[in-house]
Amino acid sequence: MKQKSISLITIVVLFAVAAVMPAVLKQYHLNMLTEIIIFALYAVSYNLLLGYAGLLSFGHASFFGLAAFATAVSIINIPGLSIWNVILISVAVTTLAGFALGGLLLRHKGAYFALLTLAFNSILFAIATKWHSVTGGDDGLSITRPDLSLGFTTIPLASLTNFYYLTLVVLGLAIIFCWYFTKTAMGQTVLLMRENEDRMKFLGYNTNISRLILFTFSGAVAGLAGIFYTFHFQFVSISAISGDMSTTVLLIAFVGGTKKFWGPILGAFVYIILQNYLSDVTDRWPLVMGMIFVLMVLFVPGGLSDVITNLWHKFFGKKDDKDGKLTTAEEVRP
Amino acid sequence: MSDYLHIQNIHKDFSGLKVLTGVDFKVREKERHAVIGPNGAGKTTLFNIISGKFKPSSGAILLRGEDISGKPADVLNRHGLSRSFQITNVFQELSVFDNILTGVRSRHGLRYHFFRKPAMNRVLTEKTEAILEKVGLADVKDQPASSLSYGQQRALEIGITLSTEPELILLDEPTAGMTREETEHAIKMIDQVTAGLTLIIIEHDMDVVFSLADTISVLHYGTILVCDAPDKIRCDQRVKDAYLGEG
Repeated sequence: MKQKSISLITIVVLFAVAAVMPAVLKQYHLNMLTEIIIFALYAVSYNLLLGYAGLLSFGHASFFGLAAFATAVSIINIPGLSIWNVILISVAVTTLAGFALGGLLLRHKGAYFALLTLAFNSILFAIATKWHSVTGGDDGLSITRPDLSLGFTTIPLASLTNFYYLTLVVLGLAIIFCWYFTKTAMGQTVLLMRENEDRMKFLGYNTNISRLILFTFSGAVAGLAGIFYTFHFQFVSISAISGDMSTTVLLIAFVGGTKKFWGPILGAFVYIILQNYLSDVTDRWPLVMGMIFVLMVLFVPGGLSDVITNLWHKFFGKKDDKDGKLTTAEEVRP
Repeated sequence: MSDYLHIQNIHKDFSGLKVLTGVDFKVREKERHAVIGPNGAGKTTLFNIISGKFKPSSGAILLRGEDISGKPADVLNRHGLSRSFQITNVFQELSVFDNILTGVRSRHGLRYHFFRKPAMNRVLTEKTEAILEKVGLADVKDQPASSLSYGQQRALEIGITLSTEPELILLDEPTAGMTREETEHAIKMIDQVTAGLTLIIIEHDMDVVFSLADTISVLHYGTILVCDAPDKIRCDQRVKDAYLGEG
C-alpha cells in the first residue's frame, strides 16, 4: 500500500510540474520537452520488449514509422478527418502490422529474431523510399495538425502550448497505462516467461501467444508515439522508419537503463537534450553520441537508472543486495 | 476402477538413439504409481513425453480414453496434468508467494489479462496461502526463492506443481539430494498433499517408493520389465537382477 501511494504521488507531482512548464519554458525548450515525451513513450514501448520480455529488436522503427506515415497519409488523403480518427486509423494499422509481423518473426529466438526485425525494418524503409506517390519518398510529407475537437468545443493545435498539453495528457496516460500493464496478469506473465519460460509452459501458459500479444501491444504503443512525432514536426520523412530510428530507441533504452520502468523515460530526457545541445555545437554530434553510448555500455551497463538506484541505496539505507539483477521483477511486484 | 491413464507402446528415439522401446502400462484413478529403474533407463524421457515436453516417436497416451500424446505442455496442464522437475525449476528471483501465485492464477484463467492484477485478487491469494501452508513454506513466503535451503526449494517445487490444482501429478525424483531426515519429512508431505490425486512418481530412493506407491513399474533399457504391487516387485527375480540387486 505504501509503495502504491508513493507511485501515485510521483505521478501527480510529475504531471503538475509538466503542466506549469509552458509558463516557465521558452518555446524552444517547450518544443524539446514535447519531443522528449514522444520519445519517452517510444522507448517505454521498446523496453516492454527488451527489458520485460527479453526480446532484442532492431526494427522497432517499423511501428513508429508506419504510424508516422499512416498519420500523414490519412490526413493528406482524407480531408476533414478528426484528430481522433487519425489516431484510431494509425494505431489500427500498427496493431495489425505488429500482429502480422509478430506472427512471422516470433517463431525465431535470440539473434535470429533480432536480425529478422532488422530485415523487415529495411524492407519497410525501402518501400517508404520507393513508393513516392504515397510516402513522398526522399521528400517526405508535410501536414498541418488537425484541430482538437472535443464535441462541445474545438481547440486549435497550431499553438505549441495547446499541442504540448495534448501530448502530455495522451502520451502521459499511455505511459501510465504501460506502467500499470507491467503489474497486470499479462505483464507479469511476460516477465515470468523471461525468468523461466519452460516452467510457464508446464503451468498452463501458452508462451507463444503471450509473446505475440506483447509484441503487438508494444508495436501499437510505439505507433502512438509515431503519430505524435508526425503531429509534432508536422512533417514525416523516411528517417522515421529508418534503421537509425530503431537504433535511437535502443540507445535511449540503454542510456536510461532497461531494468527499471522509468529508465527509458530518463533516457529520453538525456538523449534528446544531449542531441539538441551537441548538434548546436558540432555537426559531428552522432560521433559524440556514439562514443557516449560505447562508454556507457562498457562502464555503466545498467544505465543511468541503475546508477541512480545504487546511489539512492547508498545514501538512504537499504543496500541493494541483489546487485541490481532483475530489479524489474522486484519493482513490478505490487 | 477404470483405466485413468494408459501409456500405450511408447517409443522414443533421439536421432537414432532408442531411449524408449515400447513402454506400456496403465494407471488407475487415484493410484500412486512409481516408476523405478537404473540410471539411463529412460524415466525422465518418459515423463517428458507424458507431460508434453517431447512428442513420442510412436505410441499413444490415453487420458480417460482421449489420446493426449504430442499435445503441448500448456494444453496438458489445462487438462489437469502437472509435473515437478528433478532439477529444481522454480522462479528463483521471485518471492515464494509469487512462485505459487503464478500457477494459481493460471488455474483460474488469469493468464493474459490486460487490466486485472493477480496480487489484488482475494480468492487467488487465499488459495496461494493454503498451498504454502500445505507444503510448509508459509513462514518464508516473502523471501525470494533463491534464498531458500535446498529442502525448501524442493518443497517449493512441489508447491508449484500443486498450484494449478491438477488431478494427475508427475513427480520427478522429489527427494533427490535430500538427507535422510529431509526425505522422511518430504515423503510425509507428499503423501498428504497428493491425497485423492493420481500420482506418478520417479524415484531412486527405495524407501520412498515402497512407502508411497500402490503399484510399481520397473523401467529397464527403454521398456517396462514388470509392473506390479510393491510386495511382488520386491521378490521379483528379474527386478533384483536388473536393479535392486545392485544396491
